[in-house]
Amino acid sequence: MSDDKFEFGEVDQKLLAQIKLLDERFEKEGAVYHDSTLDAYLTRVGMAIVADKKLENVEWKFRALRDPVPNAFALPNGSIYINTGLLALLDDENQLAAVLAHEVTHVTHRHTYSRNRTIRKTVLAINILNTISNWHPVAGSAGIAIDLIAAISPLMLTLSVLGYSRDQEKEADLEGLKIATSAGFVPDGMPNAFKSMQKDIEGEQLNSFYNDHPRLRERVNYTSNSIAADARKLTDDEAKTARGDYLAVMEAVDRHNVELAINKGRFRSAVFVSQKLVDLHPESSENNFYLAESYRALGPRNAELTAKQMTSGAKKKAAKNRNKRTLEELDAELLATPEGAEAWKSNSEKSEKLFLRSLELNRLNASARRGLGMLYEKLNRKDEAVNQYAAYLELAPNAIDAERIRRRLAVLKESSK
Amino acid sequence: MKLAGRVVFIILCSVFANYDAANVNAQYLNPKVVEKKVTIRSATILPAKVEITKESAKGAEMMVAESAEISGKVTEAVGQALQEKKINVVTNPFDPTAMDETRKYTLADIQTRYDALLPKLVNKSKDVKKARFTLGDEVMLLNVHKDADALIFIRGQGRVFTKGKMAFSIVNIFNLDFPYTLITVGIVDARSGEVLAFTKPFSASKVLKDPKALNKMIVKSLKKLPPST
Repeated sequence: MSDDKFEFGEVDQKLLAQIKLLDERFEKEGAVYHDSTLDAYLTRVGMAIVADKKLENVEWKFRALRDPVPNAFALPNGSIYINTGLLALLDDENQLAAVLAHEVTHVTHRHTYSRNRTIRKTVLAINILNTISNWHPVAGSAGIAIDLIAAISPLMLTLSVLGYSRDQEKEADLEGLKIATSAGFVPDGMPNAFKSMQKDIEGEQLNSFYNDHPRLRERVNYTSNSIAADARKLTDDEAKTARGDYLAVMEAVDRHNVELAINKGRFRSAVFVSQKLVDLHPESSENNFYLAESYRALGPRNAELTAKQMTSGAKKKAAKNRNKRTLEELDAELLATPEGAEAWKSNSEKSEKLFLRSLELNRLNASARRGLGMLYEKLNRKDEAVNQYAAYLELAPNAIDAERIRRRLAVLKESSK
Repeated sequence: MKLAGRVVFIILCSVFANYDAANVNAQYLNPKVVEKKVTIRSATILPAKVEITKESAKGAEMMVAESAEISGKVTEAVGQALQEKKINVVTNPFDPTAMDETRKYTLADIQTRYDALLPKLVNKSKDVKKARFTLGDEVMLLNVHKDADALIFIRGQGRVFTKGKMAFSIVNIFNLDFPYTLITVGIVDARSGEVLAFTKPFSASKVLKDPKALNKMIVKSLKKLPPST
């Protein structure tokens, strides 16, 4: 239960000091996504959940972390972080409110402090902390935030990735459901958020709290069962509007998340999110550009994992392979297979079509020129690549990557001689 | 294990406690560097990430302030070692207070790329000699000084024991639980993103407190890197 009579001991103060440094480190190292519209939106939803809760050593802050891995966590000082990867998976504000309400509950119920006190008493904990502070990020697919957390506070990594105790998590779900409902959000938001998270787009082995699938099913069930039969539900039209409104707010951060996903090798997630963007605004040159980029990056992979690829054995094998091979090697291996060659043919055709569509919608879209150039370069259509790069540099001579493109252009011209 | 064997084992462990093993062989060079197809005349050091934990009998705690300090010292040591090879070290253009959000993000993303590659570099360091690893030409987005040939990525991990933990580890000597410092230095082509060199000196944790020992470790770990001519 919520305990505003919590008494801070020395161990708690030490943890709090570490947490403060973690907050600062996130900012310093470019992990926090800053956008005034998004910040204001997250704060509005978050503070509606928080209502009038005031707690010692808690200052509420709601922030997006630049990380394509779906996750969210709360620091015991009231800093609530939600990854751009999770924002992109959710469908509407009610689902967002559910996630934030869950995290707020961890803070109000001082779960981190009690878990810390418990964990420090066990030898097992020492082993966990040592294991986590190894070189290898969790399951080899950890995100930016997880890497940073592991560096600063292995305990926080344990909590944010592996979750609190089952009882604490269930308490956060059910109490979170109550406070989200009291704040005026539709209670279905919580089980629906868990359903959104069940999309295992990358076929991950990593069972973080937000993508542990057996647990997610359980959470869908007990939260659904906790909702009163006469509780407010959205009609189909309202649901559609809610979805559209949410996606409109998320459009900019979702685009950013696509870039992060591509940078992190999460190509299927990039396709998934950018398809959402195109479905939202099909006439947007930018959104078509992002989908084109995603298909280009996807390369010789299918956009959705097959049932065979989703088996536990296949996921383990794929994770092992990712740990052993570089992305370039994985691409080359796949391309050498008939399925990979077929997938690349299809993806490159889609990519080209989308880049051209993007340019049709806005012929001054410099990024689309660059993307098309990179696609043609990958397809060994050198002359076309040269033309597109030249067009890009004409449109954006002082772009941040202008030197990079000039270098590529020079190499292409040299190789054509 | 017989008594004599145990005594020998304990002696060996005590030797390790003072061991300073910047192994010259733990340095791996890309063939382009060895064959002098690439010469590093100038390098930019990216913000280092060296993390130190203090371990007591109750568990591990991060030494955040000390980690920041040691990151600075390691950066200085690497800068000095490079300068001794007549490699010009470009002044750090990544002051967090002077960077806008876009630049912070770009730096964060390139650091992330390196961190994703790092486990492979550590586990298969020999493959640097096969020119296996690259960060891609995205590194050019950092737009470091146009004359910089290389980017330097510094990572490190260290464990410092409290007296209680040290006593515990000696008593339980067969657990092989010791304080240590592991630093890695990755040298990446500032244009192509290829990993040109990688070194992973390993030492007892005394180097964290002893600047001379730290400098010696770093200099030794970069011994194979050809000087700029």
